[in-house]
Order: sequence, then C-alpha cells, then structure tokens
Amino acid sequence: MSKKTAAKLGRRDFFRKAGLGAGVAGAAAVGLSASKGNAAVPDKAVAKGEGYRETEHVKKFYELAKF
Amino acid sequence: MNRVRGRQLAQGLAGFEVTDEDHLRAQWYVLLARLLSAPPDQALLTTVRGLTGDDSELGQVIRTLAAAARATTPAAVREEHFSLFVGVGRGELLPFASYYLTGFLNEKPLARLRGDMSDMGIARADDVKEPEDHIASLCEMMAGLITGAFGAPVDLPQQRRFFATHVACWAPRFFADLQAAKSAVFYMPVGAIGSVFMSIENQAFEMAA
Repeated sequence: MSKKTAAKLGRRDFFRKAGLGAGVAGAAAVGLSASKGNAAVPDKAVAKGEGYRETEHVKKFYELAKF
Repeated sequence: MNRVRGRQLAQGLAGFEVTDEDHLRAQWYVLLARLLSAPPDQALLTTVRGLTGDDSELGQVIRTLAAAARATTPAAVREEHFSLFVGVGRGELLPFASYYLTGFLNEKPLARLRGDMSDMGIARADDVKEPEDHIASLCEMMAGLITGAFGAPVDLPQQRRFFATHVACWAPRFFADLQAAKSAVFYMPVGAIGSVFMSIENQAFEMAA
C-alpha cells in the first residue's frame, strides 16, 4: 500500500470515528444537498408578518423606477 | 439562500470523484451555512428536529441541536438570529473573518479572501449585500470546493490552504463565542457543532498533510 493510500484510509477511518456520518445522513435524505446550483431566486410567498421581502415583483419595481 | 456562486456554471466534471467522507464533510458545512446565513424556516427546522446522532462528540451535539429545534419555533429562532447577528445597531456577534482577525470589518482579510475567490472562480451571489467573509459564506465556499460546485472539486492541499487562510484562523473563536452568547438558545448547539467540526477538520487536514 502506498503512503498516500494509507493516509487516505487513515483519514476515512478518522472521519468515521469522529462520527461524521452521524445525523447528516438524515439531512441528506431531506435534501440538504451540498451541490445545489445557484438558483438563488428568493420567491418565498410573502406570508403575514414576514416583513419586507425583495421579491421578483419588488425587484421589477426598483428596476422600473430606476433606483 | 446561497451566498456565493461559481462565476461560470460548473461543467466538465467527469473524472473527478468526490469520496463519501468528503460528501459528508460538505454536508456539515452546508448545514452550518444554512443555519447561520438566515434563520431556518419551518422546513429546515423540521429537518433538524429529526436529526439523530451516535455517541461520538459530534453525534452528541447534533442530538442537542435536534432537541433545541424541537423546543423552539420558527418565530423564536428568527428573533434569536436577529439579536445574535443583526441586532438594533449591531448584533451580539459579528460573524466576519475581518472583524475577528483585525477588530474591524472590511479589512485586509476580506481583500485576501476576494483575491482567492476570484482565483477560484467564486463570486458573491447578486442579492447578497454582506461582505464575503461572513461565516456562512465561508462554510458554503468550503462545501463548494469539496464537491466542485464552483467548477472542479479542489484537492486536499488546496482545501487545506483555503481552510487555514480563511477559516481556521478565526472560526473556532467565533463558534466558541456563539456557544457562549447571551441570546443563543437554539444557536448554542450550533456553536457547539461548529467547534467540534472545526477541530475534526483541523485534525483531518493535518493527517492528510
């Protein structure tokens, strides 16, 4: 076994012992995906009492008003 | 939600293999980023409530977090997030690398980070106004470097360099502060998870070196 492979195995073992797999497996199932793209469109519905949200509509307004 | 993005769409990733443990590391970073970037919504809070842990140190703190999530509501967490990180005037904590390293916001550490981000093809998301050295942005960047969200995944020595330059030099202090913050209830175990995870990352990078 090369030194590099040994280091890699040691690392894997270390993570396993550190409990890295604890909990997040569940998170993965619910879609806490790490490699989510960059679809950063905050289109949350303006729920009651949620305060100011820069929605698409608001952005459009700013754009048209040339802010 | 995302604070940073790749300057170009990731493409041509064939040939890069992200190992299982690296996926797990990335997910811990994503979890921290999501919780610190903005207060969790109902969906995320429900997810967190269902997290379980083994008897490792990390497993124990994740159980504490799940319990804290079960004991709170989205509105209460929102208030907590506000007093911790936003505040009237300023929040209890300033989760920025520059502040922790120099005592001021927008100082040289931020400039250095921007340089490295530009070299690595990472840009701040368009709708984010806060500087890039926010703890949540840095966690997102670590996750992206590991999985290749900004292009190709970067190798361990490069991850290590980024981690040492921009994260390890202050994030452990921040997470300790978060754990001890007056307003932190739900965020107390978040700080604990950050602390434990940072020390795991530190040790693992040393093993790989």
